[in-house]
Amino acid sequence: MTASLTIENLRLEYPDALLFDDIHLSVQPGSLIVFETNVLDGATSLLKGIGGMLSNIDGHVWLNDIDLLRADAHQRARHVGFVYEEHGLISLYNVFQNIGLPLEFHTNLLADEMASKVFNIVDRLRIDRELLDKQPHELNDVQTRMVNLARALIIEPNLLLIDELEGGMPDDMIDWTMEMLLERTRATQTVTLITSSHEHILREADRVLKIENCQLSERQT
Amino acid sequence: MNLSDHDQDQPGYHGLTLLGPFKLMINPLASIVSTILELIGLISVALSASRLLLNKKRRQIFLSLFFRQIYNTGVRALYINGAVAIFIGALLISRLFDYLPQQVFSEQFGYFFMVVVFRELGPLISGIILIARSATAVTAEIGYLRLRREFQVLNGLGISPVFLFLLPVFFAFPLSLLLMFIYFDLVVFLSSYAVIWLSDPSADFVVLLLSILDQISLNEIAINAVKALLGGMMIGVISIHFGAKVEDSFSEVSDAISNSTTTQLMVFFIINILLSLLAYTQ
Repeated sequence: MTASLTIENLRLEYPDALLFDDIHLSVQPGSLIVFETNVLDGATSLLKGIGGMLSNIDGHVWLNDIDLLRADAHQRARHVGFVYEEHGLISLYNVFQNIGLPLEFHTNLLADEMASKVFNIVDRLRIDRELLDKQPHELNDVQTRMVNLARALIIEPNLLLIDELEGGMPDDMIDWTMEMLLERTRATQTVTLITSSHEHILREADRVLKIENCQLSERQT
Repeated sequence: MNLSDHDQDQPGYHGLTLLGPFKLMINPLASIVSTILELIGLISVALSASRLLLNKKRRQIFLSLFFRQIYNTGVRALYINGAVAIFIGALLISRLFDYLPQQVFSEQFGYFFMVVVFRELGPLISGIILIARSATAVTAEIGYLRLRREFQVLNGLGISPVFLFLLPVFFAFPLSLLLMFIYFDLVVFLSSYAVIWLSDPSADFVVLLLSILDQISLNEIAINAVKALLGGMMIGVISIHFGAKVEDSFSEVSDAISNSTTTQLMVFFIINILLSLLAYTQ
């Protein structure tokens, strides 16, 4: 499952602003990288851009030998998990169905096998099983983000992208979630990218990158 | 009169040029043409996405959404469809009873029913109920999903929003409308019979029923089916089209519902009138 990430000549531009230009980044397998964020610095757009979810983007994002900016939606969905800072769940479905959605669409697993995977990931993330029957609007922000995380992890992605994990979370919850993410990233030799400004998250990262003048620069830890 | 730069920046400003009045006429026309092209595009997208149904697992997902839509649109609308049908059946027959001699009424009941209820009122009222009750709900739901960026989320998950939202509506609306036609005609007949029976307890249920069935040819059934299929499909597609135009604010959702309802009523009436003219004008 080893995965490395290489970003080449990445340029991300909106009609009224150039967010990133000529970004280069190389990430080794088993690394957890944090983009240190400030308000409106474009970190969320960068994360979505890397995940191939934006159209106003040029360059290459190589996940092993797949260029995510040119891969089809199905291929991307099999390799990239994205955790939204807010919302991100489909209101047509309850929590259980939301978590199982990628398996439902992109695998041939039977219902029992899917349910077992959902329960497994829910337990790993310490999500209360009673939440599984609830609708997305019945969850608070932290629960919504944890369900997003469960849905992203259930496909066992080679690249996990997390947008501001910490909002509203108590410190101990941030700590054990980060511990779990680090452990997973190391064990699977995959890549995890997180945007955050929280010290507990920054200190756990293998590398911290700051966003300045449309560029990424290394922050010395 | 001097126009400042500010005046010229206003959205309604067309300039005091020869093109000004011309643009005023062209803009609404261009908007209608653009909407028609977008609707045709949406129909072709739905037809093209239908090939996903060849996959067994996708078909299962689709069927659960399809039956949910049929239940919400076709089944849960039956009570209001039934209530309107009871009133229309009772009113229509009581008025005909007042105006026509008994002999003419008995002989012509089947013909009146076929011409007034089966051909025109059934499709028209069922369509209006579908638009008022279900199509507005679909437009609002799609608009709300757009506001919450759920289409983006689905795209990120490699799941086509067309498959999840457009396809069930595309197939369920025509079928629901057909169900509503049948149910409407049935209830109008039953309530008509009830009124007739109250005035004349010797009225034979089977004779009245056969007098209607005698009048309904295969051609009549085919025209009604086309009205349901074409009308239902267009109502569904228009709902999705306007719902999907919502971008950032809640006020866009109410605009979408308003525009979608107006367009649906226009399109549905035009379809009904054209098909009736084509089929029944000798």
